[in-house]
Amino acid sequence: MDILTVESLYKTYGEGNTKVEALINVSFSVKKGEFVSVIGPSGSGKSTLLNMIGALDYPTSGKVSIDGRDVYKMKEEELSVFRRRNIGFIFQAYNLVPELSVEENIVLPILLDYKKPDERYIDELLDILGLKDRRRHLPGQLSGGQQQRAAIGRALATKPAIILADEPTGNLDSKNSRDVINLLKLSVERYSQTLVMITHNQNYAAYADRVLSVEDGVVSQLGGNPQ
Amino acid sequence: MNVYLDISKRYLAAHKKRTGLSVLSITLSVALVVGIFSMLDVLLKFEKIQVIHDYGNYHILVKNATEAEKKAVSGRIDVKNTGTLFSFRSGSINGDKCDILSVQKNFAPNMSMKLLKGTYAQAENELMIEDWAAEKLGAGVGDTVSFAFGDKKEKPFKVSGIFADYGDTKATGEPGVTVSLKAAEKAEVEKKCWYLIEFKDRADIRKAERQIKDSLGITEDRIARNDHLLAVIGQSDHKAAVGLYQVGAILFLIVLIAGVVMIYNTFHISVMERMRSFGLLRCVGASKKQIGRIVKKEGFLLLRWAIPGGVLLGMAATLFCSALLKYYNGYMFSAIPLFTVSPVGILSGVAAGVLTVAAATLLPAKKAARVSPVSAATGNGEIRIRKAKSEGFLTKHLPVETAMGVGNAVARKKTLVLMSASIAFSIIMFLGFQVFVDFMHTSLKTTKPYTPDVSLMSEEGLSPDLYERVSGLPGVKRAYSRMFGYINAEFDASLLTDEYKKAVGNVKINADGTLSSPEKSWLISYDKNQLKWAGTDLVEGSLSEDKLNNENGVIAVVQNVRKGVSYQAAQFHTGDRVFIDTASGKKAYTVLAVLRSVPFSDSNLNLATFITTEKLYTEITGDRTFKIIDVQLKKAGRTETVDKIKSLAVDNIKFLDSRQKNSEMNQTFLTMAVFIYGFVVVIALISILNIISTMNTSVTSKMKYLGVLRAVGMSGRQLDRMIAAEASAYCALGAASGCVLGVLLQKALIKGLLTSIKIVWVFPLAQVLCVFAVSYLVTRLSVLGPLRKIKSAGITETLGSLQ
Repeated sequence: MDILTVESLYKTYGEGNTKVEALINVSFSVKKGEFVSVIGPSGSGKSTLLNMIGALDYPTSGKVSIDGRDVYKMKEEELSVFRRRNIGFIFQAYNLVPELSVEENIVLPILLDYKKPDERYIDELLDILGLKDRRRHLPGQLSGGQQQRAAIGRALATKPAIILADEPTGNLDSKNSRDVINLLKLSVERYSQTLVMITHNQNYAAYADRVLSVEDGVVSQLGGNPQ
Repeated sequence: MNVYLDISKRYLAAHKKRTGLSVLSITLSVALVVGIFSMLDVLLKFEKIQVIHDYGNYHILVKNATEAEKKAVSGRIDVKNTGTLFSFRSGSINGDKCDILSVQKNFAPNMSMKLLKGTYAQAENELMIEDWAAEKLGAGVGDTVSFAFGDKKEKPFKVSGIFADYGDTKATGEPGVTVSLKAAEKAEVEKKCWYLIEFKDRADIRKAERQIKDSLGITEDRIARNDHLLAVIGQSDHKAAVGLYQVGAILFLIVLIAGVVMIYNTFHISVMERMRSFGLLRCVGASKKQIGRIVKKEGFLLLRWAIPGGVLLGMAATLFCSALLKYYNGYMFSAIPLFTVSPVGILSGVAAGVLTVAAATLLPAKKAARVSPVSAATGNGEIRIRKAKSEGFLTKHLPVETAMGVGNAVARKKTLVLMSASIAFSIIMFLGFQVFVDFMHTSLKTTKPYTPDVSLMSEEGLSPDLYERVSGLPGVKRAYSRMFGYINAEFDASLLTDEYKKAVGNVKINADGTLSSPEKSWLISYDKNQLKWAGTDLVEGSLSEDKLNNENGVIAVVQNVRKGVSYQAAQFHTGDRVFIDTASGKKAYTVLAVLRSVPFSDSNLNLATFITTEKLYTEITGDRTFKIIDVQLKKAGRTETVDKIKSLAVDNIKFLDSRQKNSEMNQTFLTMAVFIYGFVVVIALISILNIISTMNTSVTSKMKYLGVLRAVGMSGRQLDRMIAAEASAYCALGAASGCVLGVLLQKALIKGLLTSIKIVWVFPLAQVLCVFAVSYLVTRLSVLGPLRKIKSAGITETLGSLQ
């Protein structure tokens, strides 16, 4: 079952001489539970693609469906709710709320949905992420690796349909990077999550079920087998 | 954290310094509104007591009321007290001229009459006298005096009681005598009979007056109003009172707006600096509404601290003013508690705070909600790229750091508008409230440099020799004399006001357009000192003794007193010609100056009042003797000096003691001055604190940006210059627009609403200069603290401070 479908996606910035085609006719789909990595050089359009999938930005034309719903057809309020329930983001710069503790950062999307966090699930997440001892710490008191693990926890908290990770290891050293990738892989398997991850690193891309390459706005499949 | 809205609480707790600054700013704004409104509320309470003391505690009066009318009025549910008052033309007591009154016993306290000894005059042959008069006449309770009404028919009267001195009668030297109501009723002389009515506190006096007039068929000319008291309780239709109400309403509206702008500004700064955080929340699924709610919650959390603080501060300002007045005159203001709680003031402050925060959070919330999640996630847009155009222009003409500072201020238009508007509003308030100061100085008489403590006066004239003797007394600080008399003065009939023509009836006009004077004019001589002192009342022209002498000049006085009412007979301007009958024939004189008023009035009916030098006065009238010698006393040995001066008052020379009247006038002035200056001081202080707090917040909010600049090589001195340039841009725009609008407001208020009381608007140069200097200094000083902090902190520390 396809959880994500991207159809004929175009994104153009500027006009005339300054016109830049960031994405050109991108079409692909991702099945539930699949781990897809996206690689490509700087400025190739990877992040633009991820922003389009997460409906953080709007394409020039084309369609993105998550769990069968066209994200660009939703109204603002509806989209916010959809995003908080169905999409989990992991950023290169972690982007945790500095005033909230690790645990509070993780449960934030659940609270935004006016729901009570499932304490057992959160405990389990903290355990898997190795942050049980750090649950009351503020982001500023954690190492980069720990902060990124907290960000993964936040993305997993609402058990979303898809997790979008933009260079999650970009700010980390190699050991921490490996840990994070392993953790992502483990989470995907354990909770049958779907993951689309942008990375520079060919080695980490290899952890994925499938690798997509982006070059000058054009997406092509490099390897792996669609499940 | 149980709900997402707790983020607000966590944010405020995590950023204590910034939260503190925001709370301080809002506290100050709330304090401003509470302080000003409470002070106004309490001022009116004090003023009411003052006005009752000065003018009597009655609201309206009915002339020559019949018994049936009295019964109907006193039976009304909204009437608190009524009483009959008779007033007579001067009579005599033991041969001395005296003022005569008669007040119904139950209404005597309303007229500030306080019996010191004996009993209230009841029988037909009973009267009461003032304490000072009893001493002068050597009469006590139970003694018999020879008393006559204006008909000069002397009869023996028994002194039944002695009441406290009235400053006015003491100053004129004519004792006040209160005869019994029976005596007043029986007296067959010219008398005025007034039925005084005091309404209950919450009565609608205008409506009650209409009902009384309609139901009893009382005509308008039989009704008179105590306009001063009505004005203080907000129920006057008098032109001057309505003008003041309007000025008040406009100024208080400005205070409200200023409070709103200040709170809004604080909020705007606090929200704008966190746009990225809001964007991140949007990424993790917060809706626009939720962001709005977070901002709003934060606002109300700030208010939880700011409102009690602001209310307490505002009340403290009011308490200070009340305490000052009670300390100065505990006796008169004993009825007002020291801790006066003003529900009006507190409610308006709280309402201003809550409503402003509710409204102020709307816009930032919208803006926050508009933040693109992409830019938040990637961190782009954190440091905005400004338009190259303005920066390029500035960098060409200014050093780069100054250009960046100005560019920073100009680029963020909304911040620029809000920062400068909050400075501008402070200035507008300051300049606007100066109108009250002008009003107070013009309309409330107080002891001026020329106010005498005691005077010697004689219709027959006082010799220059007596003047020398008085001046030479050791306890005399200053003695100055005036001559005055009546002259025939003619001038262009077109200068006469309608008010005068209506009062006098037919005015004959000569063939050359001058009027054939139906009445004489009052001419007064001034010496050099008195001319100098008159400068405070100068409307146009100049007051030089030499110029007046050389150019045959006179000074015209705008306000004249006719039958106890101040009015304007003619509209003189400098250059107008006045033809005066002198000892050597009719001569032309030129008006070289116009004064608003003179500090004394004449009971005779005059056409106009003119002032000239002693030399010209003698030329015109041929008279060299003084009519009055005014004396100001030194502080030490007053009683002995007064006794010595009194001993000089022999034959036809009258001794006048103005000291009590002066102190009462000072009291009247002080009651208002404490509050008016209180307003101005509160506004000035809060404005200064507001500038400090907003500048501080503005710099603190840019810590990271400033850290980046230091990281790329900006030196501490360059940083200083950049911030100074930015602060100066806010200050210059704020001060300039504040001064322009403030001056225009001042001009509009004075010209539009207060011309009836002859307040002249002049460009407030000193105030404007002062405003510029103070706002510049305050702005520069206010950025020093945060700058020092930035410079002392490590660059990485600053950069990390907003992570």
